[in-house]
Amino acid sequence: MLARISRFILTLLLCIIIAFPLFYCISMSFFTNIDFTDAYAHFLPSHPVLDNFRTALQNRYYPRFIINSLLTSALTAIGRTLITVMAAFAFTHIRFRFRQILLIALLGTMFIPPDALLYPNYRTIAGLGLIDTYAAIILPSLFSASALLLMISSFVSAGQEYYDAARIDGAKDSVYIAKILCPMAGSVVFTLFLQAFISSFNSYLWPLLVTNRNSMRTVQVGITMLGFADGGEYGAQFAAITIIVLPFLIILGLGRKRLSEYLSGEIRL
Amino acid sequence: MKRRELKAFAYIAPALVMALLFSYLPLIRSFISSFLTISQSGQIRGFAGFGNYIRLFSDDAFIRSIGHTIIFTLLFVPLNTVLTTAAAALTRRKRKMSPVAEFIFLSPMAVSLSAYAIVFSEMFRGRISIINRMFSTDIAWLESPGTAMLVLVILGVFLDFGIDYILLLSAFRSIDKDVIDAARLDGAGPMQSLFLIELPMIKPMLSATVFMAIKDALLISAPVMVLTEGGPFRSTETVMYYYYLEAFRSGNRAVESTIATLSVSISIAAMAAISLRRRHARKDF
Repeated sequence: MLARISRFILTLLLCIIIAFPLFYCISMSFFTNIDFTDAYAHFLPSHPVLDNFRTALQNRYYPRFIINSLLTSALTAIGRTLITVMAAFAFTHIRFRFRQILLIALLGTMFIPPDALLYPNYRTIAGLGLIDTYAAIILPSLFSASALLLMISSFVSAGQEYYDAARIDGAKDSVYIAKILCPMAGSVVFTLFLQAFISSFNSYLWPLLVTNRNSMRTVQVGITMLGFADGGEYGAQFAAITIIVLPFLIILGLGRKRLSEYLSGEIRL
Repeated sequence: MKRRELKAFAYIAPALVMALLFSYLPLIRSFISSFLTISQSGQIRGFAGFGNYIRLFSDDAFIRSIGHTIIFTLLFVPLNTVLTTAAAALTRRKRKMSPVAEFIFLSPMAVSLSAYAIVFSEMFRGRISIINRMFSTDIAWLESPGTAMLVLVILGVFLDFGIDYILLLSAFRSIDKDVIDAARLDGAGPMQSLFLIELPMIKPMLSATVFMAIKDALLISAPVMVLTEGGPFRSTETVMYYYYLEAFRSGNRAVESTIATLSVSISIAAMAAISLRRRHARKDF
């Protein structure tokens, strides 16, 4: 009994700690300015207002930031999925020279932290004349070694027999990939797509470096520069954050089961 | 060369081009540049030998940034490991309320770095902060060196919490039920079962998350940038933040290429340690 109570209390305590910043952010998005400048810090708005959400959405750049983020994240996710599926297909279905070496070379990029190569990569993008373009934001994250590893391991289990049968029937590779292989590995393909989308949406450093114009900023970079606080509109800042966090919370809530199954599959690799 | 082989190369070409363009070529470029003297405009002035490395290690700001990075790592890794392991251990059995707790422990995954950083700077802002009210303290957290580092560590824990939690939770839940039942039959209580049987069994995953945490901690830069900008009094300037400042603000090519080379080497060593450990762990079973 004592063990149960202490377990409950510990869980509750940890939940409160972990949930607090998010709770406080959502709470602050309903604050009035007086709640922020008061002599003591408020937990909850003295009287909740929706003005902050209106201010955020009426900001000149905020909606544009969101559109930039959605577009670059979608393009990154689509591009990465295509590149990964194609490469994984070649590695699992075709025998070719240098196969082993090329695979090691591609997976080896896992060892190279992109943060340590920010500057040379920035120079590459600048050299290509791509600063302030979507391409600059997208290009370096198109290939992911861990995505390739996962895709290969799910394609391996798909089985060669289907491919041989499809080839005998005269199906093109593209048809086989789209109609048979991807549906069979559906949940992994989908999870990789989602993961690429979320990690791209949430990335901060790289988009910050390769964009200068306000109209090209992504939302993660943009929310640090909205300048609501300078205009005395403190709450709008947190409304802007709440708006972008909520959809991901919902996705996470819906995909929680799938996620842990998928990850426990990864561990057994 | 057969047609099928050409086809295969065509399929992997995009992945290969990306890996070359954004990983291998810049890595080689940094490595070579680190032994050269290069002017700010990018012209090669000559061979420098280990001159750039020697100069880097005689720079006080760099040495201090190593110190800050080590302090961050020493605080972050244990705190992160204890909290995520505790969360996973507490929710490892499916109970009535566990979906709620699970969702809360996963929720940090939905929040980005810049979002957390903005919320944290408000939570710890000045003396009239919500944290001071909660703990009845009177500390300007982000304005004095020691406490600013502490806030940075806490922010770091939140950033990695979700992914580490789910990895450990999946490891706990993939333990064979028979083993746990057998232990219970032998009279092991829940604490004994956890510490003597389950934790040793998830050791491979635990050490993998610890190594990942160490690697993340040694390479930390973006949270510093958004939360403290290295301050107050450059007390939270980490190695990778110093890299960022030197490379992008001062255009210092020597510092940029040497730090890049060093940090890639450290990362490779850390990852090699993980895979060696994993192989070792597999042998044990």
